[in-house]
Amino acid sequence: MTQTTFIGAILGGLLVLAGAVGILDSGAADVFLEATRPDFQKISLGVVGIQNTGGPDWLGGRIEEVLKKDVKRSLVFDLVDLPSLGIKVREVSNGATAIFKQAADNGVSLLVWGKASLKETGKEADATMEGFVYDSSSDEVVGGKRYAGSPSVLRLMAHRFADELVFRYTGEPGIARTKITYVAEQGSARELYVMDYDGYDPRQLTADGFLNLMPRWSPDRRFIVFTAYRNRNSQDIDVIELATGKRWTYVSYAGLNITPAFSPDGIFLAFASSYEGNSELYRLDTRTKSVQRLTVNPSGDLSPSWSPTGRELAFTSDRGGGPQIFLMSSDGTNVRRLTFEGDYNAAPAWSPRGNWIAYVCRTPRKEYKLCVMSPDGQKRMQLTTGPGVDDSPSWSPDGRHLVFSSTADGKSHIYMINADGKDLERLTFEGTHNSAPAWSPAS
Amino acid sequence: MGKFICVAAMILVGSVAVLTASGCGKKSLQSGGEAQSAQQGAMAKGGAGGGGSNGAQSGVGSNFPDTSLQAGGGSGEGLRGLDKNPSEERLGGGTLMAKADSAGSASRQLDDMRAEQAASSAAGLRDVYFGYDSWTISEEGRQALVRDADWLKANPSAAIKIEGHCDERGTTAYNLVLGEKRAKSVRNYLVELGVSANRLSVVSYGKERPFCAEHAESCYQQNRRGHLAVKAGK
Repeated sequence: MTQTTFIGAILGGLLVLAGAVGILDSGAADVFLEATRPDFQKISLGVVGIQNTGGPDWLGGRIEEVLKKDVKRSLVFDLVDLPSLGIKVREVSNGATAIFKQAADNGVSLLVWGKASLKETGKEADATMEGFVYDSSSDEVVGGKRYAGSPSVLRLMAHRFADELVFRYTGEPGIARTKITYVAEQGSARELYVMDYDGYDPRQLTADGFLNLMPRWSPDRRFIVFTAYRNRNSQDIDVIELATGKRWTYVSYAGLNITPAFSPDGIFLAFASSYEGNSELYRLDTRTKSVQRLTVNPSGDLSPSWSPTGRELAFTSDRGGGPQIFLMSSDGTNVRRLTFEGDYNAAPAWSPRGNWIAYVCRTPRKEYKLCVMSPDGQKRMQLTTGPGVDDSPSWSPDGRHLVFSSTADGKSHIYMINADGKDLERLTFEGTHNSAPAWSPAS
Repeated sequence: MGKFICVAAMILVGSVAVLTASGCGKKSLQSGGEAQSAQQGAMAKGGAGGGGSNGAQSGVGSNFPDTSLQAGGGSGEGLRGLDKNPSEERLGGGTLMAKADSAGSASRQLDDMRAEQAASSAAGLRDVYFGYDSWTISEEGRQALVRDADWLKANPSAAIKIEGHCDERGTTAYNLVLGEKRAKSVRNYLVELGVSANRLSVVSYGKERPFCAEHAESCYQQNRRGHLAVKAGK
């Protein structure tokens, strides 16, 4: 790893940021420059270890495991196995020049080490973690972090440190502190949950006792919008504030009220309702409460997904017979069909980088799998194969991963996969049914 | 193409044509219009829990939170960068996650469900089963609905909820649309048999409340149905 590659990576990150705040106008294509170009060189990183400086035996190892998995999932770093390079993993201090030289000689760009403690003092328990980074290209300890908090935030400390590493070398906020909201079966009911991006710490959000479906985040991560069967006979679109549990109803039309999605600025809510006869798309302005109808068609239109600029919407429509993916401007004009391959394509999710639309595609063998297509229709890839019904793809905020539900292992569970179809990882193992995941924005 | 579907649906549903055709006709007219922004400007009073009112102008809540990105402001979660001499950052327990207000209490939901099931099984109503991807009522389904219509005529005070269900294949979202099409096919046929439309309500459960949980066609068949339930209470 050379200095220039580093600079390249940092520049790439800056360009992404610049694109996201609209400094670089990418025009109609809605595609941002990205640090995940095919020629993007991952930065090699070795984790020396997290030393246990007081607390239970598992402490250091647990933190180290969380950190390593975060580093690997970032797809920014290439996690190297130090012992296999003959580098002895033991205590490192900021002046451990011998191991630094070994790392540099073996082409390892970054070394990471740290400490963790967990102290019980009376009723109060206090946890700490610190981590440091050595950069062999500049041959220096570039910096570190020190965290403290209750034992319940130990995993968060590792996640936050991993995100600091990603931020340092790409300018992006990282995804290790992101969350996933989803639907889980609770007795005979389906309720909303929120868990960490790696499947840990699931928390129940609703306890309505019937059906709550298809949750989505507000762009500031403070709210979750979803379809609620208020009294088993009718659907509302509701929104919950996570910090307070406070709840509001956006719409409660007669008929279907489904697939809500916030615009990237959080002001508009696109959704489908059948109150005028069949499922059509509408756009609610949350400031004025005015509702604008976007589609006029005797067939079903549903599942709107905003482009990252908010200028366009991808959606599902069966106006051609079976369901297919269509695109249109977010005022309902300029409708055009995107998918032509296969007789069932649905549930589009526009990547936060703008360059892909993920969706559920039915294969010639009648399997429901994940596909991605570029918004210009030029590139198409099938990401998953094999048995099981895949559903509800949702992008990570860095655009490098998708979360989705699948019945591949029998019951419906939540899985993560890279945007190139590699590194399938199962996230949920408990319960009888987990579905409809939605990945939070980054912070 | 859309028109073709509409016409096909009319043929399939047979003599419900009068009803369906008026629906299709209306839509075709609308889709002819260029400026499709049917501004609804709906300022409903209903508010939270308004439920299904038939008026197109109602149905929008009365009070919304500010969800705009700017309003979020500094949540204090932002990264601060690596530091050569890092000072201690104290981390809170992350987002406080209150369990949200229960809109309808879970136990009431369960009581209502039980009452509904009891009333429905006492009535002996028959369900209608559908083919893969289909919302067309089969000959067998029509026979079942003739008997259901007879029961409805003999029990003029009963109101029926028609639930549309789907098998697990396909997406959650599209199955909700498909389930509604199935429920509406059933409603339309009952109306054609002389049942008053205002005694019949429809709701789609998509693939979210399956009767059977195996991954097999025998089970899928059970789940592709229009289920008739006698409404309990109000």
